[in-house]
Amino acid sequence: MTKPIIEVKNLAKSFGKNAVLKDITEQVDPGQVIVVIGPSGGGKSTFLRCLNLLETPTSGEVDFDGEDLTTLDTKRVNELREEMGMVFQGFNLFPNMTVLENIKLAPMKVKGIDDAAATKRAHELLKQVNLDDHADAFPSSLSGGQAQRVAIARALAMDPKVMLFDEPTSALDPEMVGEVLNVMQELANQGMTMVVVTHEMGFAKSVANRVWFMADGYIQENNTPEAFFSNPQTARAQDFLSKILM
Amino acid sequence: MKKRVVLFFALVLALVTGFTAMTPTTANAATDTSLSKVQKKGTLVMGTSPDYPPYEFQATVHGKTKIVGMDVAVGEKIAKDMGVKLVVKSMSFDSLLVALQTGKVDMVISGMNPTPARRKNVDFTHTYYQGGYSIVINKSDKGIYKNKDSFVNKTIGAQTGSTMYNESKKQTSGTTVKGMTSVSDLILALQSHKIQGVAMEKPSAQAYVANNKELAAIPSDFDLSASDTSASAAFKKGSTALVAAANKSVDQIKKQNLVNKTYLPAAGKYLKTNTVNTSMFHYWKAFLTGIEYTLIITVCSVFFGFIIGVILALARMGQGGVVKTGLRWLATAYVEFIRGTPMMVQVMFVYFGLGLIVNLPALTSGIIAISLNSGAYVAEYIRGGINSVDDGQTEAARSLGMSSGKTMRFVVLPQALKNIWPSLGNEFITLIKDSSIVSIIGVSELIFQSNIVRSDTYRGVAPIAVIMVLYFILTFTASRILNYFERRMQHD
Repeated sequence: MTKPIIEVKNLAKSFGKNAVLKDITEQVDPGQVIVVIGPSGGGKSTFLRCLNLLETPTSGEVDFDGEDLTTLDTKRVNELREEMGMVFQGFNLFPNMTVLENIKLAPMKVKGIDDAAATKRAHELLKQVNLDDHADAFPSSLSGGQAQRVAIARALAMDPKVMLFDEPTSALDPEMVGEVLNVMQELANQGMTMVVVTHEMGFAKSVANRVWFMADGYIQENNTPEAFFSNPQTARAQDFLSKILM
Repeated sequence: MKKRVVLFFALVLALVTGFTAMTPTTANAATDTSLSKVQKKGTLVMGTSPDYPPYEFQATVHGKTKIVGMDVAVGEKIAKDMGVKLVVKSMSFDSLLVALQTGKVDMVISGMNPTPARRKNVDFTHTYYQGGYSIVINKSDKGIYKNKDSFVNKTIGAQTGSTMYNESKKQTSGTTVKGMTSVSDLILALQSHKIQGVAMEKPSAQAYVANNKELAAIPSDFDLSASDTSASAAFKKGSTALVAAANKSVDQIKKQNLVNKTYLPAAGKYLKTNTVNTSMFHYWKAFLTGIEYTLIITVCSVFFGFIIGVILALARMGQGGVVKTGLRWLATAYVEFIRGTPMMVQVMFVYFGLGLIVNLPALTSGIIAISLNSGAYVAEYIRGGINSVDDGQTEAARSLGMSSGKTMRFVVLPQALKNIWPSLGNEFITLIKDSSIVSIIGVSELIFQSNIVRSDTYRGVAPIAVIMVLYFILTFTASRILNYFERRMQHD
């Protein structure tokens, strides 16, 4: 049995009196693609952001590669974050830098890679996301789909072991969703470990190894996509699936 | 962070010592090293307010502006007799005694009367000159005013802080007394009929009348004791040895009647050369120096002010922990305090107050004061700029493994800077203008230089018009340059 890369134990997170995550214990194995689905406000994004400590859990453990992030000092957390790339709903590209500079910044400033090597790697990644012709463009001139692909390339530039996707296609025009999902699917095919929060049920069905159904601060179901979509166990999941167009 | 705290303590210390310095120190002749100190350093620094011809004024000698006049001659004699070199430092009359007490100058000779009130704070030599008072009026009014009593329901002007000012107040009734810092301003006020007469020392009055055909002098008829009309050199309280040495020179000056025989005629000659060519072009060098210093002060203050501003802004935004809370509190207090006190007061405090601990030159003091002031304002701009950067930017940077420091430096600050660039540009342009405040401590920036040209040429308005245009050229050029960079930063 392989050692899990991410292990979450009794994770809880409250904002003031509002308990968003109540008690979550799950694990992610290397090479797995986990898709987290569920109704809005169910704590999916908060859960994902707890994984790289963008949100500090109120209680519980988040183990990455055997180290409990909640007990580590800031320096070590920063180091471990390099290994977890994150893609945001709103892209969060740096608007004052070109596409190439966006990708090169962290490798150069954090890993200390020299400009030539960083540039070479950035061009490779841009080719991977089919955007090498936009290397010198500024983010404001990109479409949403292009911007999100740049964001993926930027996260990959740190050579992470895990990629976290926080609703990567929710802010996109429908016709651009496909190009982003294709890139993600390719990544999955290459064996990248991924945790994806999304409303794209098609992606969940075709790419995910496991589907986690999350609502009311708990992971209500953890199953294979086939089993989950054809035969949801909980009333909460049945209710959710009956309401979405498949 | 550490440096800021140190600076804060320095300020507190300066404040404390500032208060103790206000109580007069008692003389101690036994340990008086004042004379040996001066001889050791080889220079005698004389403070004077050079807008009071023929006592002291600025003249162009071989293309260089120089402070001349009978007081300078007296100072030179004193220094020569002590075997040291005279260094003349110019500042406003009000600041002279403070400068003496805080050790900025060793000696003050500025047509100063040894009044009992002043004697409490400084030591005076014997008098080297016995003058009297006149009132300068417009020639056209010659029939109307006879003496001090003719100014009922009118206004007499006098230099603020001077004996004439106090006596005019005391010895007239129904007359308004208006104080201004410089005599050239008073003459200008007279000529534009804002005031009807200017009380000043007789030799000064004669000089003004001789150089300006529209003016006339009338006797003041003030009832004066000898000390009110005499001029003495002032030294720091307790410097007995220095005063004794200076008295030897002063006694010689009086015995040989040097003032009337040599010094006054020499000063008169400078006055003549001054008024031969009063075209503003003739004084381009003075204005150039002004521009140079204005730019030095502005650029340095913008640079240091920005650094101080960034540090303050970061300190104000710190969250959690006792240290961070303390720093936040300190930074907030600093910003509020600086914004709640006039910059002029801050400039004087740094020069005279901080000067008690370290003897800072006027230019350095000015730059420090303005940087500290500007830093408080810039901090607020930067804080606003940082807050205006979307949280997503920070999250993206942190998710890539960047530390909070690197995130701030490489991601947030560059964007914040772009957002606040127009405000920072405004601050820069404001500083070009506000740097004029350091003229009060005698830094030769534009305002100061224009005042010199005004007292040199006896022309009140032309130099003001010149610096107005110069300031505009400076600010307009600066705003063009800033706009250029603003355009270059636009990517979205």
